[in-house]
Amino acid sequence: MSKRLYDLIARVMNVPPSSINDEASPTSIESWTSFKGYVLLSELETEFNVKFTLEEAMDAKKVADIKRYLNNHGVTLHD
Amino acid sequence: MTGEKKLSYYLNKETELDDQTYEKKIRIALLGSFTLNGLAETLRVMCAEKKIQCTTYVGGYNQYNQEILSTDSNLYKFSPDISFLLIDSRTILGDLFYYPYSMSKEERKKFVDKKIDEIQKLIQAFEKKTNSKLVITNFSIPTFSTHGIIETKTDYGQRQMITELNNRLANMFSNSNSIFIYDFNNFVSKYGEKNVFDDKQFLFGDMKISLDYIPYLANDLLSYIIGYLGISKKCIVIDLDNTLWGGIVGEDGFNGINLGPEPSGNAYMEFQRVLLSLYQRGIILAINSKNNYEDAIKVIKEHPYMILREDHLASLRINWNDKISNMKEIANELNIGLDSIVFFDDDPVNREYMKINLPQVLTVDLPKDPSKYAEVIKSMNEFSVLNITSEDRQRGRMYTEQRKRNELEKSTPDLERFLKQLDLKISIKNANEFTIPRISQLTLKTNQFNLTTKRYQEADIKKFSQDQNYMVGCAQVEDKFGDNGITGVFIIHKENPKEWFIDTFLLSCRVMGREVEKGILGYILNKARESGVERIKAQFIPSQKNKPIEDFLPSCGFQKEGDLWVYSIKTPFVIPECLTVRVE
Repeated sequence: MSKRLYDLIARVMNVPPSSINDEASPTSIESWTSFKGYVLLSELETEFNVKFTLEEAMDAKKVADIKRYLNNHGVTLHD
Repeated sequence: MTGEKKLSYYLNKETELDDQTYEKKIRIALLGSFTLNGLAETLRVMCAEKKIQCTTYVGGYNQYNQEILSTDSNLYKFSPDISFLLIDSRTILGDLFYYPYSMSKEERKKFVDKKIDEIQKLIQAFEKKTNSKLVITNFSIPTFSTHGIIETKTDYGQRQMITELNNRLANMFSNSNSIFIYDFNNFVSKYGEKNVFDDKQFLFGDMKISLDYIPYLANDLLSYIIGYLGISKKCIVIDLDNTLWGGIVGEDGFNGINLGPEPSGNAYMEFQRVLLSLYQRGIILAINSKNNYEDAIKVIKEHPYMILREDHLASLRINWNDKISNMKEIANELNIGLDSIVFFDDDPVNREYMKINLPQVLTVDLPKDPSKYAEVIKSMNEFSVLNITSEDRQRGRMYTEQRKRNELEKSTPDLERFLKQLDLKISIKNANEFTIPRISQLTLKTNQFNLTTKRYQEADIKKFSQDQNYMVGCAQVEDKFGDNGITGVFIIHKENPKEWFIDTFLLSCRVMGREVEKGILGYILNKARESGVERIKAQFIPSQKNKPIEDFLPSCGFQKEGDLWVYSIKTPFVIPECLTVRVE
């Protein structure tokens, strides 16, 4: 299931899926601009059929955070 | 088209746009009262997919007033072809967006007056500084009201206020050729307020339009680009079996096809209704179908639930030839480019075949479910135009009439008999305020059957028509299939009581080859004879395109005298029997 998440992030950021891991963030991925961050959250919501809270949206700093928030909304990602 | 791609697709694709140059170019400025991130990128990609080179300029965040009012702003330096101005309801209403009833009804009315005045002044400033077209969005009407269920009983309530703003905005520019109102409120209705607006995105990043809907908005705005560049589609070519009706008429028979008011035959009726509405707007319809002609035409002519009839179809290619050659023949017959044709066919194999062989044709991917056909066509922006003339509205009808003429001509081997059957009626009209624009247009546009190819503006024609020494007229041509409209023009210079000179004599190619020219000339010669004129002089000025009129003068009895052709009026000119000429 993590693959589904990584693939989506890679697609939005336009980078190879191999460059995405739990520590990936705007610091490690050059194309991860603040705007792309919004786009990512929006597309994650559609893909996983969840709605993040405003706090979550503001605090998502890296892939691990996104995983945790998805988990909060009942989406379990098994490695 | 239905189903839009994600915004990330466009953002990524945009980074891959190469420097390939396309013939069609457009410069787009985007000005807004909110963050427009992603819109310009999406528009550029959508344009590139249509082989349009799109250059964009995005104005500063909420800087649209300054950009428009200052002469040396970056907006004007950019020199756009089309500028889009997107103002949201929150910005225009200010505090009234949240507290509409903090003001009295009278104050709300004054507020609307003031806002309309501001917009008008802003647009006047814009128009003075640039030739760019301007597209302004109207305002979305919020569904929430503090008055709740009695909002509709509130005199000049918030919804009525915004409706009034929208109506006045629309009325203000309804006759303008350069200012357009994009119905953003309708966009929100179409996709739903809950989808288009996302409070979280707004609070988080001042994104007033949810990111998922940016591509949908861009697709709507693209319509203006299509209209501006004049690349809208003119003709829809349709398959028959499982497209206009369910089933295969060759196998299921006239009574066995699925078409009628019950499900699922009603899905095909619904599709046909949309096609008919486009026909009424001036889109040409044609058929390209592998079928026995007799089987198919019987359905078109006689089936009680067909909406589209033979009269709506400008070209019928119902045969066992391959669809590619049929398509080329249709384009030839209608004298339109393949790139102005849209093709609907339920069969994915036919579609693929068309896409590969004639990529210029827009082949639409129809879904399997016929109940979605109507929606597919309704969501297309390829038919967008920036205005619809009365000629456009009649285009479909004129093409259908032309098909019938061609069919009669083919089935009647003898030209004389064909012309007799056509029942041609020519009405000679004077130049007046109704005919002058068309007379001028014909002198400007007609190349082939044009004796002197002299080009005249409306003002020139007006001058001639007021001059006693000139006779200006035109001819409206009707036949048993319909009205061709004003298609002939003559301008005669009455040089002296005994001699007239033909300054201009032309016929639109639409009515060439039907002896109409002899009817018009006959009118002129007989009129001259009645006035005691003895000689009619004319001149043929050859151009690159007017060979079709080269032999006209000698064939009517004119004799060469130096550079001129002269007709001596002794006996009345005999107008061909197949014509009726009357004077209005």
